[in-house]
Order: sequence, then structure tokens, then C-alpha cells
Amino acid sequence: MLRRTLLAAVLVAVAAFGVYWWLTAPAALAVPLPSRAPDLANGQEIFNVGGCSSCHAVPNQPDRLRLGGGLPLGSPFGTFYAPNISPDPTDGIGRWRETDFVSAVMRGVSPEGTHYFPAFPYASYHVVELDDVRDLFAYLKTLPAVPGRVRDHDLPFPFNIRRNVGIWKLLFMDSQPFVPDAARSPQWNRGAYLVNGFGHCAECHSPRNLLGGIITAQRFAGGPNPAGEGWVPNITQKGIGEWSEKEIADFLETGEMPEGDSASGAMRPVIKNLAQLTPEDRAAMAAYLKSLPPVDGPTPPKRKQGGA
Amino acid sequence: MKRTMIVVSTLLLGAGAVMAQQEIAVQQDNLMRSIAKNQYGIIQKMTKGEIPYDQKAVDQAIASIEADVAKIAKTFEVNPKQDVVNATYGASPKVWKSKADFDSKIPPVQKAITDVKGKITDVASLKAAYTAINDRCTDCHETYRVKLK
Repeated sequence: MLRRTLLAAVLVAVAAFGVYWWLTAPAALAVPLPSRAPDLANGQEIFNVGGCSSCHAVPNQPDRLRLGGGLPLGSPFGTFYAPNISPDPTDGIGRWRETDFVSAVMRGVSPEGTHYFPAFPYASYHVVELDDVRDLFAYLKTLPAVPGRVRDHDLPFPFNIRRNVGIWKLLFMDSQPFVPDAARSPQWNRGAYLVNGFGHCAECHSPRNLLGGIITAQRFAGGPNPAGEGWVPNITQKGIGEWSEKEIADFLETGEMPEGDSASGAMRPVIKNLAQLTPEDRAAMAAYLKSLPPVDGPTPPKRKQGGA
Repeated sequence: MKRTMIVVSTLLLGAGAVMAQQEIAVQQDNLMRSIAKNQYGIIQKMTKGEIPYDQKAVDQAIASIEADVAKIAKTFEVNPKQDVVNATYGASPKVWKSKADFDSKIPPVQKAITDVKGKITDVASLKAAYTAINDRCTDCHETYRVKLK
């Protein structure tokens, strides 16, 4: 009897593990990539919309194009260290094939076929257009190679098991491409694409649930800073309803708020990236943001307790 | 009776300490607000044409900012360990974890001010001065200023 129970338990465990393994299998994006001449100017624009430099540039040095990585990114699940994405052949992405890069950006799957942690915002990038990713890859290849492998992430069990990210992706990651809204202007659609795709604004400007998934109903409604101290503002019309479309676009360029203040904290590096965009792209993002219906976000804590 | 006195005086001392800490936070906040009043309330408004260019007001604003910036290191010497009640922004605890780095952000602001002082003559040169100073302010705000709500 005991033996039979044990056998049954083992079988159940094996079956459960099989289901887990099947559910969590990293799925690379296998699409044909017909040869084409990359548009480096577009690649640069995408690089700046995506804010790649804010996380991947070597910290504490002035050159935002040295993408040797190393910046620590705090989270409730541990500390992530942004990897080297410079074209260095051993420590960066110099040996990557174009398909490797596409799978990494749009599916969060590494060339070795493992999941990336969603600190890399592929849950936003999955909506982007293939040609934009290809142009970005070509642009990255033109930047200086920076030697030096970045240390491993510092995550406690069970968050350090990459396979578990497969479950996270099932729960929180959509894999539909961006669908333009025919009822809206091309400018609005361009803005929606930039804000939700490469811009990945919602990644910080939305509250998250216990498992780190964005709470969809409160998308863009702000919340506690996922990387640590402070509060990320509500950017629906509930939060910035008094800002005109033009003022939003100006803010994205200069960081200056209509109420007479400047962006601070983690938004500062974002502004440095967005300042490089074409005025048309900033205006498009502003048009889309201005259209977001007012949504109440979570309530900030009354007062910060002791600050040591 | 003695015991009551001790309890009461301890409570009073405690309340006093809390008040003092709030007072420190308020002083720090006021210093930043005073700079912002000149930087945004006067200079930025003039660069945008919201108020007319006024040479005397510009010179005064720059002088006030210069004087206020010189007080930052001292005013932020003590960690109040609390934010100003109902404030939207506050100082990060990182200020006091790495006070030397925090302080090292001040001389570049002062240099930006000295560089433009006396050379502002019109809206165009004011705009350039505004950006030069503001960029150095935000270099520090990127790390040490926290949005609270």
C-alpha cells in the first residue's frame, strides 16, 4: 500500500514537473528576416525612445553611448544588474545574430534559450515592429564596444529561477502586436505605439501586483517607485489633466513642468533620452498621453517614516 | 509627583525633538523653494515671455540663487529623518548616506552661476543661463530629490 502511494506520488510529481516544464518553455521568436538595408537614423530614434542608455550605459561616466552595463536596479524581488549590450564580442552582444536580438527584445528570450527577467521591459517591447528592432540592432552595432562582463543578478530563491519567468509571462505578458486605432489620427497612433512599445512608460507609471505584474485597470495611474524610494506620478488625465498637449511635449523635451518645476529622480535620465527625439515623435507621445482617461491610482503613504 | 514630572518632561522633550526635526525638514524645503521661486517664478517665466524681461529683477534673482546655493551644504547637514508634512517632494535618505557626493554636486551649480553672472543682457542670454544652471540643479535632483506622492 505504502509502495503504491509512493509510486503514485512520484508519478504525480513527474507529471506536475512535466506540465511546469511545458508551460515555462522559453519561446524564441522565429520569424524570417529577409535581408534589408537598416535605417540607422530610425535605429537611433528607437534607441532614444526606448531609453536603452538609462539602464545599460556604464554608470558614473558621462558617455551615454558606452553600453557596458552594470547599473543596479532595485526591485521587491532583488537587485538586477543591467547587462553589457555594447558590441563587444565576448562581454556584449557582438556575436549575436539578428534573430537573437529580435527574440531578446520582443520575447525576453536569450540566445541560449533562457528567459530574461522582466526587469528588461520586453513585456512592453513585444508590441513593437520588427523593422524597428532590426534598425535598433544595426544602430547598437555602430556604438563603441565596451569590455567587461556584468555580475549576476542578486535575487533570492525562488526569484532566481529563470524558468519561473515562463509562468510570469503567461500571466502578465501579451504577445499581440500593436493594432492601430483607425478612429484616431496617425499622430495619436504613433504616440500610442511609442508610449506603449519602446517608450515603456507604463513599466514605472503603473502600480504592480504582488507578483510584479502591472495592474491593468490602473495602467499609467502611478504608484510606488518599483526601484525603491518615492512615488511615481499618475500620468493619466487624473494626474496631469491641467497640462496642455503642448506642455506635455515640452516637458518630454526639457523636463520642465507647467507649474514651475523640473523633473527629478529617475525621470531625469528619461528626459535626456527623449530630448534627442524628433519634435514630431514627442508631439505624438503627448497627443496620446493627453488622451488617457482619468484613472485613480493607489494612494501614496501619508508620510515617510524615519529616513536612515 | 517626581515620577509625573519625569514623565511629563520626557514627553515634552520628545515632542520638542520631533518639532525640531520637522523644523529642519521645513528649513531645507524652504531653501529649495526660495531657489525655485527665483529660478522658475522669475527667470523661467521671463524666458517664456510670461512676464516681461526686467534686467534688475534678473540680476536680483541670480544673486539670490547664488546666495541660497551657498547655504545648501550647511542647511542639509542634519538628516531630519522625516519629510515636511504633506510635501510632494522630499530629500532622499541617500543625501546623508553619501553626503560627500551630495556636497560635490554644489560647486558645479556655483560655477554655472558665476559663468553667467553679469553676462545676461536679454531673453536669449537669459535662456542660455537658465538652462546651464538648471541642468546642474537636476544633476543632483536625479539622485537626491524624491517625489513623495
